[in-house]
Amino acid sequence: MRNLFTCFLLLCVVPGFALAQHRVSGRVTDALTSGGIPGVTVIVKGTETATQTDATGNFTIEANATDTLVFRSLGYALQEIPISSRTDVAVVLQGEGTELEEVVVVGYGTQRQRDLTTAVTTVRADDIAKTPNAQAMQSLQGRVAGVQIVSNGAPGASPTVRLRGIGSFEGNAAPLYVVDGMFFDNIDFLNPNDIATISVLKDASASAIYGVRAGNGVVLVETKSGAYNKPGEIVYDAYYGIQNPQNVLKMANAQQFVQYINGTGSAADIQLVQNAMQRYGRSRLDPNLPDVNTDWYSEIMSPAPIQNHNLSFNGGGESTRYSIGGSYFDQAGLLELQRNNYRRLNFRVKVDSKVKDWLNVGGNFNVSTARQYNGENTAWFRSYFAVPILPVYDDANTNAIPVKYANAQQIGYRGSQNPFFPLEYIDNRNHVAKLLGNFHAEVALWEQKLKFRTQYNYGLSFVNTRRVDFEYHDGVTQHQSAIRRQNTTDYDQVWDNFLTYDDNFGKHNLNVVLGQSYRSEYSELLFARGTAISPAPSRAAEQYWYLANATDFDLNSIGDADGGTLNANLQFLSFFGRAAYNYDDRYLLYATFRRDGNNKFQQTWGNFATVGAGWVLSEEEFFDVPGIDFLKFRASWGQLGNDAISPSVGLPTLQENNGAINGTRIIGRRLNPTFDLITQWETTVEKNFGVDAQFLNSRLSLEADYFIRDTRNLAVTIIPPVFASAERRSVGEIRNQGLELNLNWRDNLSEDFSYNIGGNIATLTNKVLGLGGADGLNAGSAEFRQRSIIGQPYQAFYGYEVTGVFDSPQQIQNTYDADFVAEKSLVPGDLIFKDQNGDGIIDDQDRVVLGSYLPDFTWGANLGFRYKKLEFAALLQGQTGYHILNRKRGEMIFTNDTNIDADLATNLWTEGGGSSKNYPSAAGLRRAWNQVMSSYFVEAGSYFRLQNVRLSYSLLGKEINGVNWPETRLTLTAERPLTVFKYNGFNPEVANGVDREVYPIPAIYTLGVTIKL
Amino acid sequence: MKAIRNIQYVAMVFFGLLLGTSCSGLLDEPLENQQIAEGTDYTQTQNMVLMLYGAYNQLYDFGWEVYPTLSVRGDDIDIGGRGDQPLFAQADSFRYDRNFWALNNSWTSLYTDLIYWQGAIEEIQKYQEAGANQGTAQQYIAEIKVMQGFEFLQLARMWGRILIPPSSQPSQLFNVELSSFEDVMQHIATLMDEAIPLLPNVRPNQRTDIPGGITRYTAYAVKAMASLELKNYPAVAEATGQIISSGLFSLEPDFYHLFKLRGKLNSENLLELQYSDYGTPTGTSNKYLWDFFGPTSWTPARSGASGGWGFWEPSMKYIQFMLDRGERERLETTVIFTPDGITDLRNAYPGTPSWVSNVTPDGDVFNNSVRTKFYSGKHYWPSTMLTQGRTAYGENKNFTVIRYAEVLLMHAEALVSGASSSAMTADAAVNEVRNRVGLGALSGVTLDQVLDEKFAEFAGEWGIRFYDLVRHDRTAELSYGGRSYDATTDRYFPYPLLQQDILPQLRDEN
Repeated sequence: MRNLFTCFLLLCVVPGFALAQHRVSGRVTDALTSGGIPGVTVIVKGTETATQTDATGNFTIEANATDTLVFRSLGYALQEIPISSRTDVAVVLQGEGTELEEVVVVGYGTQRQRDLTTAVTTVRADDIAKTPNAQAMQSLQGRVAGVQIVSNGAPGASPTVRLRGIGSFEGNAAPLYVVDGMFFDNIDFLNPNDIATISVLKDASASAIYGVRAGNGVVLVETKSGAYNKPGEIVYDAYYGIQNPQNVLKMANAQQFVQYINGTGSAADIQLVQNAMQRYGRSRLDPNLPDVNTDWYSEIMSPAPIQNHNLSFNGGGESTRYSIGGSYFDQAGLLELQRNNYRRLNFRVKVDSKVKDWLNVGGNFNVSTARQYNGENTAWFRSYFAVPILPVYDDANTNAIPVKYANAQQIGYRGSQNPFFPLEYIDNRNHVAKLLGNFHAEVALWEQKLKFRTQYNYGLSFVNTRRVDFEYHDGVTQHQSAIRRQNTTDYDQVWDNFLTYDDNFGKHNLNVVLGQSYRSEYSELLFARGTAISPAPSRAAEQYWYLANATDFDLNSIGDADGGTLNANLQFLSFFGRAAYNYDDRYLLYATFRRDGNNKFQQTWGNFATVGAGWVLSEEEFFDVPGIDFLKFRASWGQLGNDAISPSVGLPTLQENNGAINGTRIIGRRLNPTFDLITQWETTVEKNFGVDAQFLNSRLSLEADYFIRDTRNLAVTIIPPVFASAERRSVGEIRNQGLELNLNWRDNLSEDFSYNIGGNIATLTNKVLGLGGADGLNAGSAEFRQRSIIGQPYQAFYGYEVTGVFDSPQQIQNTYDADFVAEKSLVPGDLIFKDQNGDGIIDDQDRVVLGSYLPDFTWGANLGFRYKKLEFAALLQGQTGYHILNRKRGEMIFTNDTNIDADLATNLWTEGGGSSKNYPSAAGLRRAWNQVMSSYFVEAGSYFRLQNVRLSYSLLGKEINGVNWPETRLTLTAERPLTVFKYNGFNPEVANGVDREVYPIPAIYTLGVTIKL
Repeated sequence: MKAIRNIQYVAMVFFGLLLGTSCSGLLDEPLENQQIAEGTDYTQTQNMVLMLYGAYNQLYDFGWEVYPTLSVRGDDIDIGGRGDQPLFAQADSFRYDRNFWALNNSWTSLYTDLIYWQGAIEEIQKYQEAGANQGTAQQYIAEIKVMQGFEFLQLARMWGRILIPPSSQPSQLFNVELSSFEDVMQHIATLMDEAIPLLPNVRPNQRTDIPGGITRYTAYAVKAMASLELKNYPAVAEATGQIISSGLFSLEPDFYHLFKLRGKLNSENLLELQYSDYGTPTGTSNKYLWDFFGPTSWTPARSGASGGWGFWEPSMKYIQFMLDRGERERLETTVIFTPDGITDLRNAYPGTPSWVSNVTPDGDVFNNSVRTKFYSGKHYWPSTMLTQGRTAYGENKNFTVIRYAEVLLMHAEALVSGASSSAMTADAAVNEVRNRVGLGALSGVTLDQVLDEKFAEFAGEWGIRFYDLVRHDRTAELSYGGRSYDATTDRYFPYPLLQQDILPQLRDEN
């Protein structure tokens, strides 16, 4: 076997191999600081032999005496040094355009950063690893201009990701994720530590090669690979930390609550306080208060641990490189009592092998299994509303079985209120398994110039959910047990075949890709709900939690089809091409074309093209501006499609319905005359103008982009006359435009001390341009209206503008028409709504846009330094210019016998005192006048946050107590230790702007260790 | 050698590309699980009945907000539910907001039914053309026309001038003029005239194919209601006379139990919305959302039964009216008292009898509520009548819509308003209703007495009281308890803002 291998080498590799080997060693140092540079790749030119420098910059490599060595490292100019029979080589590298020489992953290939004419931002493993989170995308928050990340605090939950605004009325406008060639809707299953790079293709020109899937932007994810000719490496990486709830919303305490209730003057509600005093006793401190003062948030919430462990093996020989790893992630939720946590186990193998000199074959296998116990979100909702005069437990509630939780109904409240009912008696479990298999082969057809690559990807995804409702008696009402299960399986495949041609003719460099791709998506769904489980489920006997033990089934909630069935079997076929041309590193041209076919829409085929151009002014001979090392202007235009919208039947359908006739369930049919007609995917055209520059020996780098992104043929709901079912048509139009700026400074003051500082900002203007004839389209609920209006942002909050609170009857008379005032019987303490049309009355014509939940402005700033082996990094970020609907306060309009937040309770309007915050009076809170959608409910959501602070110390191969300690790094991380905002809620990050029951986002403090062997 | 290898590669690439291209047939795969109406095989005539079932299911799937919208405005009932849905309370007081969501929902719910039913008629006609039994097909269509007639009636009562859809295609309404209230009523009468001869000549609960379904007499009743709105009293007398002289209907002897289990498919019912829990302790259930009427706090005879939202409060005016009449059975059936309600009543009405209690005949105890002082007894379902294991308020209760008592009193109303009939006298009709609840016979009844009888009998039911007062111009009665009714502006609701945005006819009208 070994002989065979040798023969293969002898036959196939350059004859020079037969020559005698020669060992060369040396040290690579930085020209500026004279310090050793670790991690420099050293390659024997023209061969695959390579190595890396160690932590002090030293290297050793086998080569021929006549060979040339190539030294390559991020941030330094490439150097070639002939060995000339030496055995010791000293190399000095000059700092260079930090990322310019870096290779960036673009669709179906790579490009040098300096050659890009498009807007691509790449985030690398070390930045991704800084964020202690199960979700890799979370680490992009504040790091990439133009990418809005809205965090989600629930264990295992994905953040909301928006690239350059919202360009679709449907779905969650999430970008397409391409993981090693496979398409995904999100990457919640990936272990962030397994990711080498995340490339955000921001503009249409960059993502157009993904055609009809690219409308919401594309994020390319490359998992880590081994390296050829690199000794095997074992890396153990772990952190353990605590998540601490922060910015906990202060609710009115018993004293404030009772004061507010007395303020309402409602005898019925005052009676409820009396009832509480009768049942639970009077406070010894203040006999007018019940002897209860429950802080519900602190009752249901406690700090929770988070931990992650990774073990990976990377390396490679002459012809094979590998990366093998596993990881375990465990995050507990903040909720007490209930199972609320997320555990994930990941395994991966990635292998590439040069089977022949003309054939490279590889495979990639990634298994991710997770178990998630979802906390019952109702508990957050209830903790806000539960009155503070209700205790957690009530020994007098003897009917309550099995636990004697206090029930507010027993002191006269409408609901049981106590959040411990849902916490104790509901169990939500999700089992999520995702498998990604990938096989690829690359054939060199003509030297290394023409290559053919085929890659086949299969993605399997299983999401099995189970919700168990326990049988219990809350003291008033008996609750039946039930189990609901839902299994979803997705079978997705992508098969790409493409040719890459890479060549240069003098100063002309050309890269051409031509290919074809087939994709299918197939999904299955099954759900069922059984009731009266026997034996009744208990937490002590989870082994009986099966539908088979259900006494009855709810036929109306058993099925294998839901609204998404239409989508269940989708087929796609595509042809694509790309040409990138570069003349003398000065003039850049770029074009792609994709033709996509589908069975999803009436229109089968669509074409997507892009062109881009760049001019590297700094390469021109006449350019001689001191201090400017690199200056590139680029412009691009591209077309995209978004097929992530529901397809349509396009014709009237027959639908089944059911009902009871004389106690028999009857299935009937009805003809739905209305139908969706979505003839095609949504189309986007984007123009992007950018500048890249490097100044002062590349210490300072600048990236700026301006874009206008117009999306047409948006699937929009059209309301037919009189009929309750809406129809969808491809008629909407929306524009997103903005400016993105990224500025970074890095410098080394000495060999021991280097630092960097930088920042990014992004603006966004989102505007609805067309709705197929209508002026506006309603969203939200009737009580809390949101509306997409032409010329205004998508789903803007829509209602009355509060200008103050009435202080006197005279003021009321002076403000509105007398008849109107009489009819509405307005009193001091009511809100003043602006009479926009000046007709003396307030009606639906006086409603205006009150704000949008999309931030106008997002920013991030980073700061870091390294002193010897100590490294410090900090990231700040913020968002401004957006609004949140404080829907929690809005719940008052449905149920007013609840608690209110402390800010509201202490700033209510009072006779003589007014209200500094324009809140109505206590009684006013309950009057219909003040309960309409108005700016009282819509609050500014701007925030500033210390996103991430990290301190690490490296112990490099030290000898301690006679043991040669491996390279070790200790890290302290504080994630989100400080958030500053004015909004009256837990956190100012609310994905859709409507804050009703949002999981708090905790601060996380971790201690991490990385050991390399 | 190398050339051969290159040829192989090129062949491979082409093979790959070809393979890809040959997949293009895959793009013809249809979308999953969609029953395109065009694809229906109408020769499968056994499927025709599915359209009828679908029509009934549509009728029974009655939105909770529609009922209070169409029936809250009378002096018999107040909305209750204080602290929730203030716009409903405003509507109760004739202060209408065209942007109130329930107005739009009521409009679209009723119209959506009408549209689906029109579609069902069109589909049944296609089955008939493809060879289905003509008599059966025509009967099915007639049944659906009665459903349409009933909901047209509700729409016109709420909005006056409305649109009559010419087909099952909503977009055709862009070109339809508003029909006057009278034209709508005439349209209903015509629909009923078309339907009557084709419908089974039995009582609804005598139908074996669809027990409780629509019969000839349901159509007569709807015709009578439409004719009453037209003040076409001879037509009312004729239609009600047909029902009376059929001899098929009788009043349930126990008024209280008419609204309980015994009321399901009762021989008094001409139309009812059917629901069922299928006799199982848990699992499948089709129910009306009775929670709306349920108590926010009670001590049910069967521990663990759920309450509700605390809406639908019988008016103090009605309670005192009944006490003045010395009525107990209908008052106790219609009104459930809370302790606070009883206190208020005793303060306002010193002669309140001692039998007024917050405990129902079935032993459920109603407690105080911040939302309401009284609950609706006709929409109450005793906890002891729940199927063992069930806890939802009212689960398994049917919703009675048209009952024989209304036919009798419409008959009387027509006769005292000048019509004549050989079926029954006005006195006999009124006395039959009074007799059931043990009240003495009247003779020479007047319109006042008939309307009082209707007030006493139908409080809280389908807005009968409001439309009676409006029809007979006795709207002064509506200005009670701080309300002020203006006959020129308050009879009809404004068209919902959302509909005005879509249909120019409505915009011009307002």
